[in-house]
Amino acid sequence: MFGFLKKVGDYTKDAVGAAQYLSQGLAVTFDHLRRRPITVQYPYEKLIPSERYRGRIHYEFDKCIACEVCVRVCPINLPVVDWVMNKATKKKELRNYSIDFGVCIFCGNCVEYCPTNCLSMTEEYELAAFDRHSLNYDNVALGRLPTSVTSDPAVFALRELAYLPKGVMDPHGVPATAPRAGKLPEQVLETLPAAPDQGASS
Amino acid sequence: MDSPPIVTTGLDLQTSFVEALQGLGLSSGTARLLWLPLPMLTVLVAAVVGVLVNVWLERKISAAVQQRIGPEYAGALGILQPLADGLKLVFKEDIIPARADGLLFTLGPVLVLVPVILSWLVVPFGQNLLISNVGVGVFLWISLSSIQPIGLLMSGYASNNKYSLLGGLRAAAQSISYEIPLALAVLAVVMMSNSLSTVDIVNQQAGAGILSWNIWRQPVGFVIFWICALAECERLPFDLPEAEEELVAGYQTEYSGMKFALFYLGSYINLVLSALLVAVLYLGGWSFPVPVEWLAGLLGQSVDAPLVQVITASVGIAMTVLKAYLLVFFAILLRWTVPRVRIDQLLDLGWKFLLPVALVNLLVTAALKLAFPSVFGG
Repeated sequence: MFGFLKKVGDYTKDAVGAAQYLSQGLAVTFDHLRRRPITVQYPYEKLIPSERYRGRIHYEFDKCIACEVCVRVCPINLPVVDWVMNKATKKKELRNYSIDFGVCIFCGNCVEYCPTNCLSMTEEYELAAFDRHSLNYDNVALGRLPTSVTSDPAVFALRELAYLPKGVMDPHGVPATAPRAGKLPEQVLETLPAAPDQGASS
Repeated sequence: MDSPPIVTTGLDLQTSFVEALQGLGLSSGTARLLWLPLPMLTVLVAAVVGVLVNVWLERKISAAVQQRIGPEYAGALGILQPLADGLKLVFKEDIIPARADGLLFTLGPVLVLVPVILSWLVVPFGQNLLISNVGVGVFLWISLSSIQPIGLLMSGYASNNKYSLLGGLRAAAQSISYEIPLALAVLAVVMMSNSLSTVDIVNQQAGAGILSWNIWRQPVGFVIFWICALAECERLPFDLPEAEEELVAGYQTEYSGMKFALFYLGSYINLVLSALLVAVLYLGGWSFPVPVEWLAGLLGQSVDAPLVQVITASVGIAMTVLKAYLLVFFAILLRWTVPRVRIDQLLDLGWKFLLPVALVNLLVTAALKLAFPSVFGG
């Protein structure tokens, strides 16, 4: 008899608990209804890529000395450096340079190690193409500068969360002049006392 | 209630229509024949429009819950999106898989949709605003809804695909298990109103506005009915038959084009229908939270005045639809709140929890009816 009653009691407790959890969950979803969408209406709105965004690589042909460091530091030896030795001047003569962005993983090693800084990262990420071979950029394509999101008149540029003013969650309607939360490294440096000269140890 | 509440006839379009045609010199039989297709077409159109609204609501509310925008470009606020979806499905190629059983494959979706649409026969929007005041109203709905699993099983089996078969079997098992507590919950309501007719059930809740709605007298029944209705509609938490993560799309896997659209339509019509029936059985159907008769009396108007009749009928329709769509909203919210149950949990809930609770609810209702006949129906 008591066993049965206990069973009924446990059952009721379970049911009440389930109802509680359900109402908690419903409260959460109901609360979400009144929040603003966090989506970016992509082709019309775009997020401004962050400062160190690793997008398509930009390449300056004239700066390149064909040292092939980029090839050596690349995880898959991707850049193709086409050069010939000019016997007369005893110098390398660069003919072509290409990177296949269908294969590149945008690790940035080549940019990091390039001795003449002829490689750099851009903020371009829209690399969709109908044919994957058209992603193999030669030195002309690599030399093109991308359209900046902020200067494109057809695009409404939005700041990413970390670049918004303090307390602001929604990038819509934030004036471009509003400073981001926190301090930039140089602003932090200004507040620090002048560092004593550490000599040759550092 | 000892004496049945004063039943106002309200707006009776049929009588007025037939009388008007007879005034034009038609025989009463012809006039009635001309009347017959009108409410049917109206309800059919209402059901389809209800589905379109439902699909739009589902997408918009889902988007809002997930902090998205949802359909936006097809019409203002994406209102035309369901229409675009429907059009797309109409123009898609109608494919019958080579190894499928063509006849059963075609018959399946029809057998799913037809009973659901037929059930709209008994949904009342007002005292005389329904196609047919069948004496066995809710029973007709329950029996029609048990045809549906046959269609589901048929399409699942005929698809000749393991996912479809599993989905069909699950759908059948689920429908059959939840039919029983559903019927028991309805039985408790029927016992209180001494009638199976949906109109009588609403009239029995009409005495004191919101206070006399069945939800106060049958809270347990209301919850059981709602859970079972969700399970019958295969709404999430109970959408196992089409659980896309495991079964691709269940019994609909092999369907495309208009046949798929029939399933789609059927499931949404069923959801609206279930919400309407919850409104009718537990939330006072077309009755306003404050009795309309009382309001009319307060304004010094006769309830039988033509204008008042039209207004009360409109209020009645609006109330029914409003209540139903509140429940639909709740179902959609629930969809994004609860995870899907496992098949054993589903059957456990149906047989080990809902069924005994529904039985106890029925017995308690019977006891209360004997003890307090004035409150729980005489």
